[in-house]
Amino acid sequence: MTRRNPGPADSGHGRAGWGRRVVGSILPGLPQILMGRWGTGSTALSVWLLLLVIVVARTDRLLAAVGGAWDERLALLTTVFGLMAAWGWCWRDLGASTDSRPSGIDQWSLAVVAFSRNRTAVAGLVLIVLIYMVALLAPLITPHDPLHMYDLTTSRLQGLSTTHPLGTDHLARDVLSRILYGARISLTIGFVAVGISATIGTLVGAVAGFLGGAIDNAIMRFVDVVISFPRLVLLIAIVALFESSITLVILVLGLTLWPSTARIVRGEVLVLREREFIQAAHALGYSRRRIIVRHLVPNALPPVIVAATLGIGNTIVLEAGLSFLSLGVQPPTPSWGTMVADGRDELLSAWWLSTFPGLAIVFTVLAFNLVGDGLRDALDPRLRS
Amino acid sequence: MKKLMLTVATLAMVACGGSDVTRTVSNDPFCQAVIPAVDAWLAEARASHPAPADDRYGGMAVVAAVGEIADGMNSAVARDYGATQHQQFINLMTLIDYDDVAFPRPYLAESWEVADDQTSITFRLRQDVFWHDGEQTDAHDVAFTYAAVTNPETGYANAAFWDHFVHGEAGVEVLDDFTVRIAMRPHADPMDPFRVLAILPEHLLGDVPLSELGRHPFGTQCPVGNGPFVFYSHEPQSRWVFEANPAFPEGLGGRPYLDRYVYRVIPEQTTLLTELLTGGVDVYIQPTPDQARMIIDDPDLDLVNFVGRDYVYVGWNARLPKLADARVRQAITMAIDRESVVEALLGGYGRVANSGVPPFHFAFDPDLQSPVSFDRERARALLTEAGWVDRDGDGVRENASGERLSITLKYNPNEIRQTIAELMQAQASEIGVEIIPTMTEWNTLVGQISSEARDFEGVVMGWQAEFRLDDMDLFHSERSDRMFAFSGTNNPEIDRLLEAISSTRGRDASRALWAEYQQEIMVEQPYTYLYFRDRLAGVNSRLSGVVMDARGEWVNARQWYIEPDVR
Amino acid sequence: MTRYVVGRLLTAIPLVWGIATLMFLLVHLAPGDPALQYITPGMDREVVEQVRANFGLDQPLHVQYGRWLGAMVTGDFGYSYSMARPVADVVANAFPNTLLLSGSALLLAFVIGIVLGTIQAVRQYSVTDSLLSVILLFFYSMPGFWLALMLVLSMSLFANAIWELPIWFPASGMTSADYDLMSPAGRVLDRIWHLVLPTSALSLALAAGIARFMRGSMLEVVRQDFIRTARAKGLPERVVIFRHALRNALTPIITLVGLYIPFLFSGTVFIETVFAWPGMGRTIVDAIGTRDYPLIMAASFFFAITVVVANLIADTLYAVVDPRVRYD
Repeated sequence: MTRRNPGPADSGHGRAGWGRRVVGSILPGLPQILMGRWGTGSTALSVWLLLLVIVVARTDRLLAAVGGAWDERLALLTTVFGLMAAWGWCWRDLGASTDSRPSGIDQWSLAVVAFSRNRTAVAGLVLIVLIYMVALLAPLITPHDPLHMYDLTTSRLQGLSTTHPLGTDHLARDVLSRILYGARISLTIGFVAVGISATIGTLVGAVAGFLGGAIDNAIMRFVDVVISFPRLVLLIAIVALFESSITLVILVLGLTLWPSTARIVRGEVLVLREREFIQAAHALGYSRRRIIVRHLVPNALPPVIVAATLGIGNTIVLEAGLSFLSLGVQPPTPSWGTMVADGRDELLSAWWLSTFPGLAIVFTVLAFNLVGDGLRDALDPRLRS
Repeated sequence: MKKLMLTVATLAMVACGGSDVTRTVSNDPFCQAVIPAVDAWLAEARASHPAPADDRYGGMAVVAAVGEIADGMNSAVARDYGATQHQQFINLMTLIDYDDVAFPRPYLAESWEVADDQTSITFRLRQDVFWHDGEQTDAHDVAFTYAAVTNPETGYANAAFWDHFVHGEAGVEVLDDFTVRIAMRPHADPMDPFRVLAILPEHLLGDVPLSELGRHPFGTQCPVGNGPFVFYSHEPQSRWVFEANPAFPEGLGGRPYLDRYVYRVIPEQTTLLTELLTGGVDVYIQPTPDQARMIIDDPDLDLVNFVGRDYVYVGWNARLPKLADARVRQAITMAIDRESVVEALLGGYGRVANSGVPPFHFAFDPDLQSPVSFDRERARALLTEAGWVDRDGDGVRENASGERLSITLKYNPNEIRQTIAELMQAQASEIGVEIIPTMTEWNTLVGQISSEARDFEGVVMGWQAEFRLDDMDLFHSERSDRMFAFSGTNNPEIDRLLEAISSTRGRDASRALWAEYQQEIMVEQPYTYLYFRDRLAGVNSRLSGVVMDARGEWVNARQWYIEPDVR
Repeated sequence: MTRYVVGRLLTAIPLVWGIATLMFLLVHLAPGDPALQYITPGMDREVVEQVRANFGLDQPLHVQYGRWLGAMVTGDFGYSYSMARPVADVVANAFPNTLLLSGSALLLAFVIGIVLGTIQAVRQYSVTDSLLSVILLFFYSMPGFWLALMLVLSMSLFANAIWELPIWFPASGMTSADYDLMSPAGRVLDRIWHLVLPTSALSLALAAGIARFMRGSMLEVVRQDFIRTARAKGLPERVVIFRHALRNALTPIITLVGLYIPFLFSGTVFIETVFAWPGMGRTIVDAIGTRDYPLIMAASFFFAITVVVANLIADTLYAVVDPRVRYD
């Protein structure tokens, strides 16, 4: 599949005229679409329009958010920032010259180019951005309060309707609002847990691989023990035996994931250790810590990034699984996993309770997996066609 | 060639794999000895007692529920409901059972006599009951069972049953092969424990040390009963299979109609309902109220519901200063719209409870007026009167020293309990009380509420009432260190009434006492009683003759039958 | 070769010990008292103590640890008070069931994965490739229990009751209630019939990963010189792919076996719950819920051992198959 590369003859890449700039000021992204770059253009345009709609339709909430809770302020900031970003990007882009190229031919720039050529990966990235935006903007866009219970006798387990687009649950709460808020929980858990595991795993793996010998052996034995455990069993055991809370869930998810990261990093470091630039660094007398942190780790990062991205998806599914076994997030906090678990007994009569949160999980995890795969393809020189 | 090998390997794996095969026979030496004896006796019984010429005889019924019968047929350790039901009605026999108005009638015991001074009961046993290995059931079995369960070494869970009986071997006397006398102290409703206690075979278990009786393979691997159904096999976590006992006494109805009875364990309620709808099982025990609607709508299924013995309540730790004032507890109860909770949570399959007296109990008064019915205005007034006012405008009341009326409400991971906790949180906030639902794992929770420290403030709990009611262990001030006396009630009136009820015999005499007691409880409000839950069952209409009531779902299992054309 | 296997076995022993100790620590450090599972209304504290003593829960920690380690040698893993039978019995009953399920799922996943991966590689960058990628990824991203529930809904309930298809599958169980009354052929069919849904639920997610791996592996192999030679020789494309490329591409797949075993066993936890399959997954979840220490430890231990053994087998297979591999 080839993409048509606009050449200098297209007016698309020359310095934009004032007409285009005016259009770009009112509707960022539109000029890019007209110029043929409809992928990036439509993303910018839709972000702009979406945020404008929010500003117009939820002016009251926006104004209230100024003095409101931290998440409302965050939503306000996101809106403002999003608008500025879309507008600013369009402006800069219109002002950029034809000959701009990626700034270098280093590993990362090449990876960026390879990634952006991968349509499914980019689609995944857009989806992730969208989900994160939804999570951040949740206080502004939810139609109802996710914790509010309507009249128990009339509004329980109602199907899809105009007031409740995704129905209501056992306690007459709006499912759509709960899904929107649930995004925050699931994403936070995924992100923080993987963040913890990536950090610990990278450091431990780098140290083990670099130092070698007895330390390496000892660390790797321990890693083997933890990896041999089916992660879910370990998770269930820990969360069930100690009292369940979000903090515990995140900690346990993170602490059961770092060994596999450590193994990956160690493998990479073992290879890198023999490369000339590391030998040179030794010869130059750099301290071991400097070599590890400034030279080894950055070069060992690509597989870690891939593993981390895929790990977020995996972690979200695991959290859902824990909730399925009633070991996850505590009520009334809406989390997708808990919502699927809550709805499982009513699958035949109130199918929307489990289906929509389930779909939310699937699409989020799908997005992370697409991006992870794209990163893997982009960062691994062997897999490029 | 490779493909052929692969196919063969797959088939072999499939055909031989897993232990869910024809019939699991335990490796235990006890079972190895006992099972062939049972098989032999059953074969002989079938030959000598052919089924009557009624075409209702035959067929197989499958009952499914979420829980496994964990304790099996060992009545010495019976805890869970499924186990006691199967012991009473399927595999073993109890001395008496109850009719549909909860009066005792003969079962294993042909007749009985309570002594005039109320210090003993003499049972005369039927002489035509045989264990499924051929031995006759006699008074020695009863004596052995009684001595075992009243001995603390066994660890019999319902030890409270025997509070007023003489324990151990001293409490039971074998008068002759079929007559046995049990000693007790005078108290109300002495027959109830014998409805629950299934008799165990002395010739098989008599030599087992009591502390090991609970672990004996008899319970879940090879029970030998004397009831209407003979144990065939048990695949753990999967199913129990029983077959009809051809030699069951004619005087009790003779052999059951069904040839085979199967109990299946399916932990997922959606799967259970699917099995019921597709005909995979005949009876689904305890569907959710929302699933009940689907069962009603299906023309091939019937929904059976009956008043259950379970009730759900919120227990308050009245030892804490903020909950010590009865008015606070009353106010919280009055803030909850319990009617709508029942409607919403149970789909109407239940009723509001004002005390621990269940609807099937003789002392139950359907017209009992509650002084703590739903009334938020009065609730607010009560709180203010008790000194709790919202002084800082944050929506939560404080007392004079600034302490907020904030209560943690613990509950175990259970959807209904979780819903109740959340509901209470929302509804209590309307009167300025902050309730914080806290999910606590079951074991931990039980540990916390029953420990001496009584580490809880409010707890959502369930309770199963027996036919013989006795709240002594819950609310009597002298029993406040018992495991379940976590409310910390100290009320002389209640003490007096509890003692009076406990020693009054005769239903008419105690009715007035019960009424007074319920009034006192409602004022004291140690618990916010929420509701009595109906028990539900989805039954496939091809299974006929099913009667289910407060005695249990299996009460007339031996009279279930399937018409030959729908087998 | 033998030296390698023996060497790996020896390193496995401390691994096994580490796993056992980890599990013991975990279970005993947790709050919660197993004897409390026995609470019924009105129970005295003394009765609870008695129960605790009856099940040997009141022994000091090091005594229990000693007994636990000794169990490895003697095979006496104690008594499971939640299941009312010896732990060894419980595991002996449940383990083959899980093995059956996982084994079938692994087989199915590899078959599907290899086939689809090959198709993707052969038609790289076509619509088929992208479509398959997305579909497979879709299944891979699904929570296992959700997929299981959807399968029960669609292939069991809807197929039977609503769409009234000629083929539908049972919603639960390993065998029908009258299994022992069936003919041998009927029994085999009954088992397969009950296996279809749980195996599918378990294997679809795995297949996605395997397909991806297979695709990458095939692409790599196809680029190599000997394939170019084969094509230059004029061999038909089908022979090139199936006789030459496939065989070489399969070699690295073997490593996946070891990688996927833990995933497989984790997955069975949900599948077994939804389909009421009496296997190790359910056993361990129930055991953890009831704080059945002996059972928790034995079950987790078995899980971990299976992983170790599977890894050993996978590594050995790999060494056998690929002569270039030599681990010292």
